[in-house]
Amino acid sequence: MSNQEMLLRKINAIDFALWELHIFLDTHPCNREALAKHDDLSQKRIVLAEQYEERFGPLEENTERWNWVDSPWPWEADFEKGMK
Amino acid sequence: MFVYEKKLQYPVRITTPNPALAKLILTQYGGPDGELGASLRYLSQRFSMPYSELKATLTDIGTEELGHLEMIGAIVYQLTRNLTEDEIKKGGFSDYFVDHTTGIYPASASGVPFSASVLAVKGDPITDLHEDMAAEQKARTTYDNILRFCDDPDVRDPIKFLREREIVHYQRFGEALRLTTDKLDSKNFYAFNPGFDPKR
Repeated sequence: MSNQEMLLRKINAIDFALWELHIFLDTHPCNREALAKHDDLSQKRIVLAEQYEERFGPLEENTERWNWVDSPWPWEADFEKGMK
Repeated sequence: MFVYEKKLQYPVRITTPNPALAKLILTQYGGPDGELGASLRYLSQRFSMPYSELKATLTDIGTEELGHLEMIGAIVYQLTRNLTEDEIKKGGFSDYFVDHTTGIYPASASGVPFSASVLAVKGDPITDLHEDMAAEQKARTTYDNILRFCDDPDVRDPIKFLREREIVHYQRFGEALRLTTDKLDSKNFYAFNPGFDPKR
């Protein structure tokens, strides 16, 4: 796994944790612990996203105008590899 | 509205085709306890939900299920790539192949096309949330059954992820049900339907 893929996996793992906290907060909107964790991970994601973008270009590149059509689609097995 | 993100919720990277397994897993695409039914169930039920927590939960989980539908489609697609005629015959895939080639069609493992009759929208939050909790358990059982037929770690990994999500969603719906009953008549939960009757 390349450095780029590893960093991307880390960011995706944080995104998943944020989602998990998000749906937990749907039924526990005032849970301070979950809110604090959510804030903490959001900050970590900003730092990692900056690191990624400094080294490899825009994170959301896949959704940019030109790459939208040309970059690999998520169901293609080489999707992660194909990400620039 | 919805916006598409060009990525999967959890990676799917399968190297060995297996049409027989693909046919079984397809049931989570368009079968009775599959992800299509799940997303339609929650995204439809949310309109008549009386409390904000319930609207949020059903919107979010319904949306996540659409992501799972995409993951199942990716698994079935990758399990049926580059099949030879021999693999199609030996894998018991000829009957599916003759109708759909290797396209992804929402049907159950036994070939029954998707139907909205697999889900319910009753317009009563207690009734609908019980349906949702049962639906999550039925999907969990289906994933457990799929895992019995599956020894390829490339396939087991995303299937186990999806199985775990059913358990988490079951928890959230259980909490949503508790939030609902907390707000009702403590002597008789069914004294009125908070999704229809005027506020008390």
